[in-house]
Amino acid sequence: MAPFDRPDDLLRLEDLRVAHDGRDVLGPLTLDITARRTGIVGRNGSGKTTLARVVAGLQAPTAGRVTLSGIDPAKDRRGALDRVGILFQNPDHQIIFPTVEEEITFGLRQQGRSKAEAAAAVTAILTRFDKLHWRAAATHSLSQGQKQLVCLMAVLVMGPRWIVLDEPFSGLDIATRLQLMRHMARIEARILMISHDPESFAGYDRVIWLEGGALREDGPAAPVLARFTAQMRQWGDADDLSHLAG
Amino acid sequence: MISLTSPVETWAHRWPAGLKLGLMSLATVALFATEDPAILGASAVGVALLYASAGTRFARAGARQLWPLWPFLVLIALWHGLTGQVAAGVALTLRLLAAVALANFVTMTTRLSAMIEVAAVLLAPFRRLGLSTRALEISIALVIRFTPAIARKGGLLSEAWRARSRRRPGWQIVMSLAALAIDDADHVADALKARGGVLPIPDTDQKG
Repeated sequence: MAPFDRPDDLLRLEDLRVAHDGRDVLGPLTLDITARRTGIVGRNGSGKTTLARVVAGLQAPTAGRVTLSGIDPAKDRRGALDRVGILFQNPDHQIIFPTVEEEITFGLRQQGRSKAEAAAAVTAILTRFDKLHWRAAATHSLSQGQKQLVCLMAVLVMGPRWIVLDEPFSGLDIATRLQLMRHMARIEARILMISHDPESFAGYDRVIWLEGGALREDGPAAPVLARFTAQMRQWGDADDLSHLAG
Repeated sequence: MISLTSPVETWAHRWPAGLKLGLMSLATVALFATEDPAILGASAVGVALLYASAGTRFARAGARQLWPLWPFLVLIALWHGLTGQVAAGVALTLRLLAAVALANFVTMTTRLSAMIEVAAVLLAPFRRLGLSTRALEISIALVIRFTPAIARKGGLLSEAWRARSRRRPGWQIVMSLAALAIDDADHVADALKARGGVLPIPDTDQKG
């Protein structure tokens, strides 16, 4: 695992802008993130997932620049592999292989590790999570929470300095969510997490609130979350569900 | 028709993937070299015994995987019955059944990563010419992995149809299924990209 406090572990967004089909969905956004735990909140369609994809390098910004621990994650894919991992909202969209072992091995082989090194790393990560008995399990037979944990292990085993979590708890029951949160709390890497649930940000340093693709608030977690929750309740009484995007 | 690796551990799981694929290729060539219904019948029985040797649970799962073959077999039987070539029809049916069942047996007893390794070894000459074969290796894996996934999506769509209709769904869900498959392909592309895409693996450890 990479030593935690690297001076170059900085996520810098400079005048970042993303447009889909000519319509701006995110930005312009200028931010520096170094916090160990950063939360991203906002309503559906506020650009949260787009931001996650841009940070993970899955999508290049339309304009502006992203620098993640010294690299451009969309251009330098090899460099991005060691720096950032992403957990999708739906683990079924993430799991490629039929067994847990193969799924976790894939990323390691992609990093150029030998078969023996990869096998040792798989044992290490399964042991760390006390899931050694999952090794040969069929991924499609796992529960949603178990699948999400496999995805988390597959990302962690690659030793990224940043982990992007895109609503990792949606569709999970409360007990499963709490267990996953406990696993996540132990992660050494910096985390950027999107969530709708203010409770899932326990122990977070900073929260960024996006609205309509722009920055609405940014600051220490507790006060931003309090104002976010109050605003959501107020909007909950209104009927903007009837507005169609145009 | 093609299933994933069976979680029921059998003797055949422990055989090397290359050996199984090699034997399967030889057997398939042999099946196509003969027209004798007796030999083809014996081959089909032999494949059935292969399944039986792996245990009841495994054999049942295998039979379920092969069940979708029946419309093809009926079609062949009808055609040959109508044209009067009964012996040829029987031979074709037995050959098809034995060959597909054998291929399914190998898939059920071989890990996907082992299959990819065999593909990587076979494609080695192309790498020596400087071509990256990683994309092809991963494509093979994806076809095997996503065929059952798309079949399941089809099942979900027909349930969504039946929930609001008294009739069985027909061709109407084909477009939706195609759209879902494209959507799935997008997600898989993202999942692959998030973990390095089809970056070529250094050749030294690919042979290992």
